[in-house]
Amino acid sequence: MEVSNSCSSFSSSSVDSTKPSPSESSVNLSLSLTFPSTSPQREARQDWPPIKSRLRDTLKGRRLLRRGDDTSLFVKVYMEGVPIGRKLDLCAFSGYESLLENLSHMFDTSIICGNRDRKHHVLTYEDKDGDWMMVGDIPWDMFLETVRRLKITRPERY
Amino acid sequence: MNYFPDEVIEHVFDFVTSHKDRNAISLVCKSWYKIERYSRQKVFIGNCYAINPERLLRRFPCLKSLTLKGKPHFADFNLVPHEWGGFVLPWIEALARSRVGLEELRLKRMVVTDESLELLSRSFVNFKSLVLVSCEGFTTDGLASIAANCRHLRDLDLQENEIDDHRGQWLSCFPDTCTTLVTLNFACLEGETNLVALERLVARSPNLKSLKLNRAVPLDALARLMVCAPQIVDLGVGSYENDPDSESYLKLKAAIKKCTLLRSLSGFLEAAPHCLSAFHPICHNLTSLNLSYAAEIHGSHLIKLIQHCKKLQRLWILDSIGDKGLEVVASTCKELQELRVFPSDLLGGGNTAVTEEGLVAISAGCPKLHSILYFCQQMTNAALVTVAKNCPNFIRFRLCILEPNKPDHVTSQPLDEGFGAIVKACKSLRRLSLSGLLTDQVFLYIGMYANQLEMLSIAFAGDTDKGMLYVLNGCKKMKKLEIRDSPFGDTALLADVSKYETMRSLWMSSCEVTLSGCKRLAQKAPWLNVEIINENDNNRMEENGHEGRQKVDKLYLYRTVVGTRMDAPPFVWIL
Repeated sequence: MEVSNSCSSFSSSSVDSTKPSPSESSVNLSLSLTFPSTSPQREARQDWPPIKSRLRDTLKGRRLLRRGDDTSLFVKVYMEGVPIGRKLDLCAFSGYESLLENLSHMFDTSIICGNRDRKHHVLTYEDKDGDWMMVGDIPWDMFLETVRRLKITRPERY
Repeated sequence: MNYFPDEVIEHVFDFVTSHKDRNAISLVCKSWYKIERYSRQKVFIGNCYAINPERLLRRFPCLKSLTLKGKPHFADFNLVPHEWGGFVLPWIEALARSRVGLEELRLKRMVVTDESLELLSRSFVNFKSLVLVSCEGFTTDGLASIAANCRHLRDLDLQENEIDDHRGQWLSCFPDTCTTLVTLNFACLEGETNLVALERLVARSPNLKSLKLNRAVPLDALARLMVCAPQIVDLGVGSYENDPDSESYLKLKAAIKKCTLLRSLSGFLEAAPHCLSAFHPICHNLTSLNLSYAAEIHGSHLIKLIQHCKKLQRLWILDSIGDKGLEVVASTCKELQELRVFPSDLLGGGNTAVTEEGLVAISAGCPKLHSILYFCQQMTNAALVTVAKNCPNFIRFRLCILEPNKPDHVTSQPLDEGFGAIVKACKSLRRLSLSGLLTDQVFLYIGMYANQLEMLSIAFAGDTDKGMLYVLNGCKKMKKLEIRDSPFGDTALLADVSKYETMRSLWMSSCEVTLSGCKRLAQKAPWLNVEIINENDNNRMEENGHEGRQKVDKLYLYRTVVGTRMDAPPFVWIL
């Protein structure tokens, strides 16, 4: 919705031979300037697109992660005590089960979620607030929106 | 028919229910006018300022049901200031004074206060049905009066209103003796809900068919409610976040299976997607599905749900379903009549969630489609021509290309030909919304072909006054014309003033009309209310000639038989 797009559409239409010449038409070019052109993160208008306030508020309040087939979410994964970490695309997994299976395979040890078992490695994550949390408490889709990185803790910690 | 006694004619009239037909009957002769007016029970008023309650009651003293609409349609998109008008209190006061036996009140885009609700609840012994759509100005205290005082309440239907939630106990205000509820919709309330009171109310309402919950009703409460009301036909789910292995979820699954009459599903205001599968068992019965607020649910889960919904007639969904998802809809939902696809990403991240391909797929797969509202990033003339060929039965066609003035993305041409094909093919078209790059040509087509068109919405379109003139001259059945950000001015506005007597209203904002043009119009047509809405303090509209050429920001005119309204706020200038 940037000005550059609307301006170019006006200029392309003036080349069209079926349209009246610019001197005849009373095209108001200021119309194309109603949309601010500057930053890509411009503030959304309140009156366009024409949707009701309720839907507008619902959409504004959601940070909808667009997860199509071609998107990915790579996060760092560290095993406690091991300085070199790995990187993992969380979008490749359908849920916690497949994530754990894969991690267990990658680090060659059994890893579990959200359990106070002192014998196993427990998977934790850093969320968008910077807090370290137990993996598995929230629905998978919500987890994907908030996770920043993963850490596999040593059993003794717990 | 002169040789039938009045009672017989009246009995015949009982079978005539549509407003249009009853209006036609009343014009046949004086005797029919008289019989009709005494027997009319339902009255529809499309513009609350076109008439006043006293005249309404003089003509229809036996009125039982009243529908009133207030603000113009563009108020939905924040184009009309809140204090503009549309107050229902004077109507309720007049109805109460006249002691008419009001049973049903349906309001749209009106300002309702707690005082009016209180008065309403106390004045009409047989009051049964309150439907408020896109209204504002009241709180849950007003709802408490309705709950407490309307002994025979059947419907309390609150659709998308702005209600101040005082977190009071309005649900507990329904007396234990209230067992008549058929519809209870409070999905738009933002605050806490007394779940105990709600469950008890639902449990003692055996006739409850439609229940729409707000986001404060969690999953375990939903399960309990569905157990109390297995007869439910229309369900609006509130919050839907949970762990799929939990006991509540399993209880919900069991309860849902028993709801064999369930035909319509909506809500999912906060939803964890994998829980949608709980509804799969009843999907084959669903005729209506509204997932337009389920912003958390990814397209793939939506598709999984829809694949079970073979009988769907109405679908409202977000564009996160994608073109692929729409192809699934097209191949699954062969009974589809109405589709609305809303945008899910307001900042235009460039994600082409749905395109012309989805629209074409739907038109090809759904032969019964007659109403569509489609928000998309791009469109082509070729696609619209194909859609017109596939679906000549459109009654409502609303296309919103998110970027204004965007041309055909393949040919870079305006979309005149595409929309032209739509209006030419769809001979029953009553409502049309345009978008994309459009010249005067599209309006030539509309004026020429859209004979049944009653409502037209124009934004960022056209080149000259000719465009608007084509429409005003051509569309004989035009009722509501709303235009924004388009280069139409005084010439078009003033060309045929008598046209506005045949229309309900005209809205023009950010166009080229000037103050002097509006004044001339007001002079020529004293039976019109010509309102200038001017919120800009610096922009005082002055009388003298120079300022007369000043452009008017917002113009709203409508026919009326009761003259200038007295309740306009200071920023509304009625000429």
